Amino acid sequence: MPRWISDEPGEEAALLEAVGIPSVDALFSDVPKKARIGRMGIGPGREEPDVVRDVDRLLDRNRPLARFATFLGGRVACRYAPAAVDAILSRSEFYTAYTPYQAEASQGMLRALFEFQSLWVELTGLDVANASLYDGATAAGEALLLCRRVHEGHRFLIPASLPWEEKSVLANYASGPGLRVEEIPYDARTGRLDLEFVRRTVASKDVFGVLADVPNGFGHLDEGVLDLRSAIGDVPLVVAADPLSLSVLEPPGDYGADVVVGEGQGFGVPPAFGGPLLGLFACRREYMRQAPGRIVGASVDAEGRPAYTLTLQTREQHIRRSRATSNICTNQSLVALAFVVYATVVGPRGLATLQTTLAERARTLATALGGIDGIAAPRFDAPYLGEFTLELTRGTSLSFLDRLRRRRILGGHALADPRPSAAPQAERILVAATDSVGEKEIQKYAAAARAWSASGGRP
Amino acid sequence: MTFQQARWDEPAVWDLTTSYPTSPPPGIASVPERFRRKRGVRWPEIAEPEVVRHYTRLSQMNLGIDTAFYPLGSCTMKYNPKVSELLARRPGAAQVHPYQPEATVQGALELTYRLERLLSRVTGFPEVSLQPGAGAHGEYAALLMVRAYFRDRGELDRRTEILLPDTAHGTNPASASQAGFAAREIPSKDGCVDLAALRAAVSDRTAGFMLTNPNTAGLFEGEILEIAETVHTAGGLLYYDGANLNAILGVTNPARMGFDIAHINLHKTFATPHGGGGPGAGVLAAGEKLAPYLPVPRIAKSGRRFRLDYDRPRSIGKIKTAYGNFGLDVRAYAFAISHGEEGLKQVARRAVLNSNYLGVRLGKLLPRPFRTLVKHEFVLSGTPLRERGVRTLDLAKRLLDEGVHAPTVYFPSLVEEALMIEPPETESRRELDRFAEAFERAVSDTPENLHAAPHHLAVRRIDEVRAAREPRLSWKDLRTAAVNVETPGRLAAGDEGSSPKDPGVAR
Repeated sequence: MPRWISDEPGEEAALLEAVGIPSVDALFSDVPKKARIGRMGIGPGREEPDVVRDVDRLLDRNRPLARFATFLGGRVACRYAPAAVDAILSRSEFYTAYTPYQAEASQGMLRALFEFQSLWVELTGLDVANASLYDGATAAGEALLLCRRVHEGHRFLIPASLPWEEKSVLANYASGPGLRVEEIPYDARTGRLDLEFVRRTVASKDVFGVLADVPNGFGHLDEGVLDLRSAIGDVPLVVAADPLSLSVLEPPGDYGADVVVGEGQGFGVPPAFGGPLLGLFACRREYMRQAPGRIVGASVDAEGRPAYTLTLQTREQHIRRSRATSNICTNQSLVALAFVVYATVVGPRGLATLQTTLAERARTLATALGGIDGIAAPRFDAPYLGEFTLELTRGTSLSFLDRLRRRRILGGHALADPRPSAAPQAERILVAATDSVGEKEIQKYAAAARAWSASGGRP
Repeated sequence: MTFQQARWDEPAVWDLTTSYPTSPPPGIASVPERFRRKRGVRWPEIAEPEVVRHYTRLSQMNLGIDTAFYPLGSCTMKYNPKVSELLARRPGAAQVHPYQPEATVQGALELTYRLERLLSRVTGFPEVSLQPGAGAHGEYAALLMVRAYFRDRGELDRRTEILLPDTAHGTNPASASQAGFAAREIPSKDGCVDLAALRAAVSDRTAGFMLTNPNTAGLFEGEILEIAETVHTAGGLLYYDGANLNAILGVTNPARMGFDIAHINLHKTFATPHGGGGPGAGVLAAGEKLAPYLPVPRIAKSGRRFRLDYDRPRSIGKIKTAYGNFGLDVRAYAFAISHGEEGLKQVARRAVLNSNYLGVRLGKLLPRPFRTLVKHEFVLSGTPLRERGVRTLDLAKRLLDEGVHAPTVYFPSLVEEALMIEPPETESRRELDRFAEAFERAVSDTPENLHAAPHHLAVRRIDEVRAAREPRLSWKDLRTAAVNVETPGRLAAGDEGSSPKDPGVAR
């Protein structure tokens, strides 16, 4: 039995005596006999060394990223975080705290979250950020619901190039209030959004919001996004932006975004098989009282000293219940702390330098893959930063990636929706330049791809 | 009085320096001119030692379980085992990408599978998904599954109501309405569901009933089997809010009580740290009716191999990117196998014993509105303090001065001036006694002291009304506010490249 429960001699007896009952069983006399269970069927407890051995044995069956040349990306980044970030996250005053309901006792986390909100405001060019949501996809879902609160209509437009997981999450968030998510087609050569389609659809007067992602689901930059504002009039515009890209790109608030969401995991926490992630959310001030989630505000204490507290809580579930702007209670505070510590340690110029380096590496890789028979890399004729999409003109993504894997390369991930119900899809792979790959790994990738091609695209 | 929290006069991170990059970042050749950032990101550039010192100082102005007893009702703030932290940081847990080929993540899949099986045994439900991000997210996903279930049965147009007791956590009605249902509250009787009122409320409009058991008053809903029968007879489904699962581990389970689906907060019952507000994990466990609708992928075992199974035609699809908060799953798994069957039972037994013990002691100081046999938490009412012009809020702030966190206050709302107190199993009798003594000192303190509390924290009582009336939610707002304040000579805001100081706030 673990040492986490006190078992001093006489302790339980003294507690029972004070309660005035003969045994602990008597405390459960209000559970009806018919509702009781026998054994749960869980094995016996283990001592700490055995637990460590058992869990390590499981984890050793994983092959961590360091064993490969890694080109995996998408919403979950493989990016080095300075050790200082985890050192701060490991402060148990932070990680063992609950939501800062008692502000006076929780100034540390409240101030860190206020700094986090401030940083997302600076990066996005918007006015108000919340203290985080679960991940980028659910942040987009919350943005969809916000749009409906501030604008009439039943249709929400998203790029057809959005990752399938996000499409599915958005479809779920839309389904409750009976809303529809519709896909904006893209140009087959460039992957650019069909703005004519957007204008036409918005003219129906039934569109309550439009979402675009930067870079898009293929990793590319679509200049058309800069023209969306003028294309959709007063319909709310949501931009899903990669935070690292915002170190070098125009803040979406400057080109008309009303809401900017994003996935922030790459700033300070490891991929961890996909979680915890970090949902970023910011909006214009006029939508402040429609925003989802916790928000930290500045105030003063009784002595007039600066102090911080959760605020605008009348939007929230514990006050407003069924009329709350969102059901969010727990968010991702600790990951938000990681985000702001990471960005501050690396610094704004450091972020831009990193993004520039990754863009150069992606370009080198695309060049190295150019002209290989059976591979179109990049698939789309459009600018990109650290990621791009390649397309196989023969064979399958799975066999291609498997072949690379056997050469110790994680060559990216298939973009296709893996559900059997999905319509037939092109064999596209999102490839990311990560900060752990250099010239050597890039040439290794190209050599493996050529070998795949020479074998006729067979595994 | 011996407690004193750190009281650093620490500036905001942007006030640690006076220079920020002002010129735009060097352009990336391939990026179209229109897309390039025209101004630098206005954020400080500070060397690592100073950054670390800044956030370390902030941490010292924060109360966690490792610092203090944290009896927040319904939050189950138990000790977070250090071994779990150790394991979650292993490269095999942290440095694994969700889109790696299955052959390279067999350990992650197996750990996920094993945790699912274990939670299946805890809840009594056959199928489990670890995907939802937190408890409320689990509720929401479950209600979307309920929608899909009734759609398949052709009953969705009719079944538009989710019922819940007035003691329900606020997330329940919020999730219900976000999932497109009308949330309708059923009044309680003596702190429990009024079965007659429930019987009168159910109809062919009822999609489901959401219930926490034991409930937020700390009471076990003894008529749970009748409640289940009532809801099922009306054709509705029963949802178990697992926030209070800690109290019943090994005694009963949601399936046995007649529920159709449940969420479990790993960050409560399974001791994963709450991170100052998150991340959490809101695992879903479902019975046969709803299991086909669980999010994809599910983890399947074929022989000795584990794989991601997307072939679930009735699934609602995705509710979040990837497969859930794996980092927390590792921690929860380590917690669960450390305890094993007997240990998990002991968790519930000791948590309930602690709660009853503290209930008896504090019940001598303030009234308890309901019966005194409670489960993991209990409720007191601060109404007698009113005679002295003192409110529950004052008591909570005064408790902070004792070096403990305050209980949950003003919830459940059916109790006036409520304090909801949960002392989990990891608190020793000594800690409980210390808290009882602190509580006694606090209750009997002078109204002046109570009103002025706290005195020994990083800040004194915070003006929350001002925070809401004049929302200043970021550094940008502080700069704007500084411009608006008439203090010539200090107005640096808007002057790019210099350090704006808000005379009111960011010192």
